[in-house]
Amino acid sequence: MATPSELLPYSKIREDLFRPLSGASPAYIASALGALAVIILGGVAWSIQIRDGMGVTGLQRPVFWGFYIVDFVFWIGISHAGTLISAILRLTDAGWRKPVTRAAEAITVFCLMIGGMFPIIHLGRSWLFYWLIPYPNSRLLWPNFRSPLLWDLTAIMTYVTGSVIYLYLPMIPDMAQLGQVSKGWRGMLYRTLSLGWTGSDREWHALERAMKLMACTILPVAVSVHTVVAWDFAMAIAPMWHSTIFGPYFVVGAIFSGIAALLLVMGTLRKALHLELYLTNHHFNNLSKLLLLMSLLWFYFTFAEHLTVWYGNEPSEMAVFRTRVTGAFAPYFWFMVVCNFVVPFVLMGVRRLRNITTAMISSVCVLMGMWLERYIIVVPTLSNPRLPAAAAGFYGPTWIELAITAATFAAMILLYLLFAKLFPIIAVWEFKPHPAEDE
Amino acid sequence: MYLIGEFREQESIVRAIQRLKETGVTAAEMDVFSNEPVEFHRGILDRPSRMSLVAVLGAIANGCLVTGFVYYAQHNYRLNTGGMPVFSLWGTGVITYEMTMLGAILATFLWFLWESGLLRKRDKSVPVPVVPPGSMCLRVRTEQTGSVAEIMERSGALGVERKAEL
Repeated sequence: MATPSELLPYSKIREDLFRPLSGASPAYIASALGALAVIILGGVAWSIQIRDGMGVTGLQRPVFWGFYIVDFVFWIGISHAGTLISAILRLTDAGWRKPVTRAAEAITVFCLMIGGMFPIIHLGRSWLFYWLIPYPNSRLLWPNFRSPLLWDLTAIMTYVTGSVIYLYLPMIPDMAQLGQVSKGWRGMLYRTLSLGWTGSDREWHALERAMKLMACTILPVAVSVHTVVAWDFAMAIAPMWHSTIFGPYFVVGAIFSGIAALLLVMGTLRKALHLELYLTNHHFNNLSKLLLLMSLLWFYFTFAEHLTVWYGNEPSEMAVFRTRVTGAFAPYFWFMVVCNFVVPFVLMGVRRLRNITTAMISSVCVLMGMWLERYIIVVPTLSNPRLPAAAAGFYGPTWIELAITAATFAAMILLYLLFAKLFPIIAVWEFKPHPAEDE
Repeated sequence: MYLIGEFREQESIVRAIQRLKETGVTAAEMDVFSNEPVEFHRGILDRPSRMSLVAVLGAIANGCLVTGFVYYAQHNYRLNTGGMPVFSLWGTGVITYEMTMLGAILATFLWFLWESGLLRKRDKSVPVPVVPPGSMCLRVRTEQTGSVAEIMERSGALGVERKAEL
């Protein structure tokens, strides 16, 4: 079935989708400046951390992983919104994907850029991050290739490279069109990035083949990236981390939070850029159903993970279990369950309640819930270590961690604002011209 | 000499291509230009591709290269593994896997640039039509301009333009 946008004249589609690229409203400028201010605050916090050392954070024995690792897992998880969802929709040739894919692919690239910062921030001596890269050096040392930290580096590097290419390839035809109508630095930018695209059938064939191959390649990479992130935890013999289902559990959580982020971005773009004709109820309805499906899967995994621990009744595991379910972290745990399961189950499951507004509400809840899920995974386990000699400890973030975390959310907003101003957020060429269109 | 015919309907351009092929014009001498991908049935204007093969070869090459490098690095500076093997495919399998996939990704991208002609230096003497929105242009390199133009017009071209090499 053709969506309303597919029945529009091509000239109208071009006009609607290229229009947001020109001019900037006061609301746009205010949002960009607001985001920039928060990023600067985060930059100041990080510079204080670099100057004074990791002591300025709330990290202390035995909890050496806190907000930074939570943020890292959260952002890498959201990055699954784009490339993975876009690749699935492309391979299944879902017709409704057209207005969704680019917005999704952009989320992936920005989230990976942001998420990839956290291991560097967490290193403490961030300026030595290049020690992770295997290069011939004067001490004749190589990185430890068995270390999950290096696995993370290679997995994220592969995913970033693939995602940037996957975002860039379908933008080439649009940039060629923009290059014809734009002047000045914009025209030069578009013409350079379009690589002299002429729209010949050889180019289209090569593009379509490359997109299909990239979709096939990027899917297992996306799954592997979050599996590797899960193995950061699961490879440690720590209570409630050393689990065989952590890989798939994390992948499910990542896709879940990714869909929520995509719905939130789409809803915001629809309103801000007046794309009501392109991002319709149909798209939100389909993504809402996916969100519901992932919510059920997430609940199943969470339930399975906790049930086996409870049934096993192993003392060190039960210490963490009790802290989570009835102890100090219980409010976070149950709030997470409400956000990730109860809210989407009711709002997305009941057909009469399912609309764009409730999809946005559910998405915000899911994002909060998924951030809390990562917090619940990281902190209670480290607060209740397995070794009897290591005393239990408490972790609370300082303003440094809060500011850096806030800055990453602001960075996401700013990057998206800039992207939406430089490139069409919906692929124009994917809409075929209406056959009866009159010029 | 180049002839550029503008078409609105896909059926018309397919008809023109088939008739031109019957008169001896090869697929290499024809190019279709459009603002969106035009899908032809097999046998109309096939463009054979080796992209899948190149992607697989890129994956294998990078995977082997990286595994070899890890093997070298782990023997070059031996860590105390407590009796376990210095090099283990299980222990470094993630790196081998990721780099194999990176090889496929990069090979696909580079081959796309090559196959589409974007990476190669463009022959500036060949005219490139400006395609109006909603239209498709068929460019044919030929010396028999009269008969080719007639075929295009009879097949449904809105107009046919003659262009000499620039």
